[in-house]
Amino acid sequence: MATPAHTNSAVRDALAVGLVSGCGIAYQITLMRIFSIVHWHHFAYLMISVAMLGFGASGTLLTLLRPWMAGRERQVLVGSMAGFAGAMPLAVLAGFAIPFETFHLVSDPRHIAYLFGLSLVLALPFLLCATAIATALIMHRERFGWLYGINMTGSACGAVAVIALLFLLPPAAIPIVLAVPALIATALAGGMAGRRLALSLGIAMVVLAAWATPRNLPVSEYKILSYLQQFPDFAEVARTQSPLSMIQAVTSSLLRETPGQLSNYPFREKGPLPPQAGLVMDAGSLSAVHQYDGDLARFAFMDYVTAALPYRLLDRPEVLVIGAGGGTDVLIALVGGARQITAVEIDPRVRPLLDGPLRHYSGGLFDRDDVDYRVAEGRGFLAASPRAYDLIQVALIDAFTAAAAGVFALSESYLYTREAVELYLRRLTPDGVLAITRWIKTPARDEIKLFATLVEALERTGIQEPGHHLAFIRSWNTATLLASRSPWTPEQIEAIRSFSRDRWFDISFLPGLAEHETNRYIALEEETYFLAAREIIHGDRDAFYRSYPFHVRPATDDKPHFFQFFRWRSLPVLVETLGWSWLPFMEWGYVTLLAAMVQGVVASAILILLPLALSRHRREGAGTRSGVFIYFGCLGLAFMFLEIAMIQKFMLFLAYPMYAVAVVLASFLLFAGLGSLAADRFLRPGPKVAGGAVAGLGTLAILYLLLLPPLFTSAATAWSDPAKVGLSVLLLAPLAFLMGMPFPSGMTWLGHHRPPLLPWAWAINGFTSVLGASLATFTAIHLGFRVLVLFAIALYLLAAISFFRMAGNDETIHPKFIALRKASIHRAG
Amino acid sequence: MGRRSTTVFLVAAFAAGQTNLYGDLFAMRRDAMVRETIENRQVTDPATLRAMRAVERHRFVLPELIGNAYDDRPLPIGFGQTISQPYIVALMTELLQVNEDSVVLEIGAGSGYQAAVLAEIVNRVYTIEIVPELADLSANRMKELGYENVVVKEGDGYFGWEEHAPFDGIIVTAAATHIPPPLIEQLKPGGRLVIPVGPPMQVQNLMLIEKTEDGEIRQRSLMPVRFVPFTRR
Repeated sequence: MATPAHTNSAVRDALAVGLVSGCGIAYQITLMRIFSIVHWHHFAYLMISVAMLGFGASGTLLTLLRPWMAGRERQVLVGSMAGFAGAMPLAVLAGFAIPFETFHLVSDPRHIAYLFGLSLVLALPFLLCATAIATALIMHRERFGWLYGINMTGSACGAVAVIALLFLLPPAAIPIVLAVPALIATALAGGMAGRRLALSLGIAMVVLAAWATPRNLPVSEYKILSYLQQFPDFAEVARTQSPLSMIQAVTSSLLRETPGQLSNYPFREKGPLPPQAGLVMDAGSLSAVHQYDGDLARFAFMDYVTAALPYRLLDRPEVLVIGAGGGTDVLIALVGGARQITAVEIDPRVRPLLDGPLRHYSGGLFDRDDVDYRVAEGRGFLAASPRAYDLIQVALIDAFTAAAAGVFALSESYLYTREAVELYLRRLTPDGVLAITRWIKTPARDEIKLFATLVEALERTGIQEPGHHLAFIRSWNTATLLASRSPWTPEQIEAIRSFSRDRWFDISFLPGLAEHETNRYIALEEETYFLAAREIIHGDRDAFYRSYPFHVRPATDDKPHFFQFFRWRSLPVLVETLGWSWLPFMEWGYVTLLAAMVQGVVASAILILLPLALSRHRREGAGTRSGVFIYFGCLGLAFMFLEIAMIQKFMLFLAYPMYAVAVVLASFLLFAGLGSLAADRFLRPGPKVAGGAVAGLGTLAILYLLLLPPLFTSAATAWSDPAKVGLSVLLLAPLAFLMGMPFPSGMTWLGHHRPPLLPWAWAINGFTSVLGASLATFTAIHLGFRVLVLFAIALYLLAAISFFRMAGNDETIHPKFIALRKASIHRAG
Repeated sequence: MGRRSTTVFLVAAFAAGQTNLYGDLFAMRRDAMVRETIENRQVTDPATLRAMRAVERHRFVLPELIGNAYDDRPLPIGFGQTISQPYIVALMTELLQVNEDSVVLEIGAGSGYQAAVLAEIVNRVYTIEIVPELADLSANRMKELGYENVVVKEGDGYFGWEEHAPFDGIIVTAAATHIPPPLIEQLKPGGRLVIPVGPPMQVQNLMLIEKTEDGEIRQRSLMPVRFVPFTRR
């Protein structure tokens, strides 16, 4: 038994580890937010790679410092915790000082160096955080499972806490706030000396916070907010933030954000466009709020956009608008003569902004008797409501420039999957119409994938000849695609033709449309849309999907990455036609993820292999080393694969992506932590525990693969949010509990048999778990989430086998461990 | 001499204030740029090619980027704006099909480079710039370089410049979310409007809008292109 002093020190260290772990994850999420605003959304993926760099480097550092560290563990622990506290805000400020600009990345090589510098600066806090945790784990390796459980539980608390913080504070202030628990951790772990260090650092922190942290983030000059700020009468009237995004309500007499044609809009006769305010999201996208005063005549221009087409086909329809935003599509519906409009908006912060600071602009548009405003996710709303509509209008909700540039390539979008479209079609009245408007992308890909999705969804609802139910018109930058429950009538076909003729829109698909009737008003070099649509309807569809230079096969709930168009095969064609420098501007998301992953793999290779090459222990059992590599590598990957797959599965059920991420992440960390604690308390950590846990979690994962999809599309979708969250936690708990056991079992075993390899194992697991996040996204994009889960199970099995083999090969106990046990018995005695 | 060493040499020469001595080197680079990146890509209009050879692009870029002035790529000029790629400037100029009698409107003066190229060809160029600093900069630059047929105005390009309308050509050098109807109205019958479309940071389309003699509008999407966004008042 340990002495009370020894126990107290372990408890204090454990608390410190819990605090530092929580800060680490909170800091990573904060950085993702900060750099999504300052630069672009795909920086989230770079932050993952940055964290990976820091975690991997900590393993290397500890391996190299082992000889020096003997007897100085406490100093390293306290120093790295204090350093972590200070580095969090300082790294952000240093990051702001680096003049990196995404836009210049492909044209100015200096910006590659800036990006590298930024990565190194931001990796430093993670290096210190991971060094602190790993040092504590090594110091208390006889209680590894327990301490690791605290580490995971702390991370879970950090994940939940940062979500709350991101609602309350500007993102730039959070690193300073996070320094407080990190300083408390320093004081806990360092005793009197630590308290002095923490106090001095704390004072320095407050001074720094007051002096250096900018109120406004230094947003890239190429983001829409920076352009708007150049308008002489620009004003930011309100700002709201959440873990998902920052929204700024802005005004300027110069805002005129109306995507569409308007080339022949008779503005002299009908008057100029009414003034607008705007909602700017993450400084990178603008949604217009038109000044509404009840006089719809001022909005005649709304009839000059492609999204107005369905109102020419339906008589006073009852409409569901998915993506109410600032109200553009509701105005289109009102101008089009809608009888009743249900406007669904996913973001609960939009309405208060419209009713409050922007009331002068929104003018109570959503208070009208014929408008029913609902805060809900579009698909979840439809799934839970049995009502049918004459028109379902999916608005240009991602009318955001960054989204159009491919930065959402990696995001799941359940609004545009084949199953989603099928649901929309089933919720139409017998003569109802589904209308989806999208930005036109060059080269053509978005609309072609959407057209294919509509065709396949129509077929799944039992329609034999989808071509008779579809229409596709385009302006110079938007396209509106229609799908009807009943075949178009000759009157409707004529209405589509005359609307397009009057407005100078081109028709790219309509029953009976001849090729010579296309490409008249906005002449493309080739009417790709018509040719593609004809091929999808009448040709060999599969061959077309395979041969088209972009990925245009419809997205499904299993592969819901609608915005992912990149195909390796088409790379030579793209480079030949557009040149290398264009690629990032089309497929930013994919390219950034790829770059992050390559950077991660290269760093992993160097930082994992380097310590082994330099280590004095390199001649120790080659079998154990490869076993350690496989075991901890597989665990890192598999854990992330399952976590990301579950986030995806529960996203559909919980409807709000933020709920899904928060619930799954917190449940995984918390229950995995409890699993680790339970293994330590009640079981003897080793291959048998790991093997048992793998068998259990594999079975559960397969069961979930089979049972969750029907459960998540059943009546449970109509449950209240708390009930859904409760069910999700219940479902996730056993899986995460079992997933928490293999890693500490392996570490405990290693601590007994090969203690010098502990930091190395820590580094491998750190690297692969972060690499796993990127790799999981790639796997899901290309192979789907089902395959991702199966891969995770296979990796867990491989890990278990490797553990059994490793244990079978090495029954000896390391002499140092015997000495340690003796010492501990001696102290206890 | 390799391309890189030429660049270093040019920068050094410029920094030393020996631009007269080394002006020939800039002219050589400019000539090479026109030959290799413009003529080779089917821009054939002699007036455009002459103008591209005449306008000293290195006088329109930021001092630290002077060595890259004759590279065929856009360069930042601050305020989130860029000086367009020389090939695109040449292409847009050629597309306008203007001559020495023409009056042209430009929306988005930026560095003033496009206006200078047009000024070598046409009778008069009216250019509007929303960013006050850039408007001042380009107005001063036009004066210094002796382009007396260029008039720069700080203001909103959305409504065009009605006092000087109609125009033989309108050139918009920044991306827009919709084609401003007033610009189409201010185009002469037989006139041409060239404008890039699509969001910033994405591949955009260069659009050519022609107003026929009977006032009908024809629009053509020509090629993918990347610009800075169209800021307007």
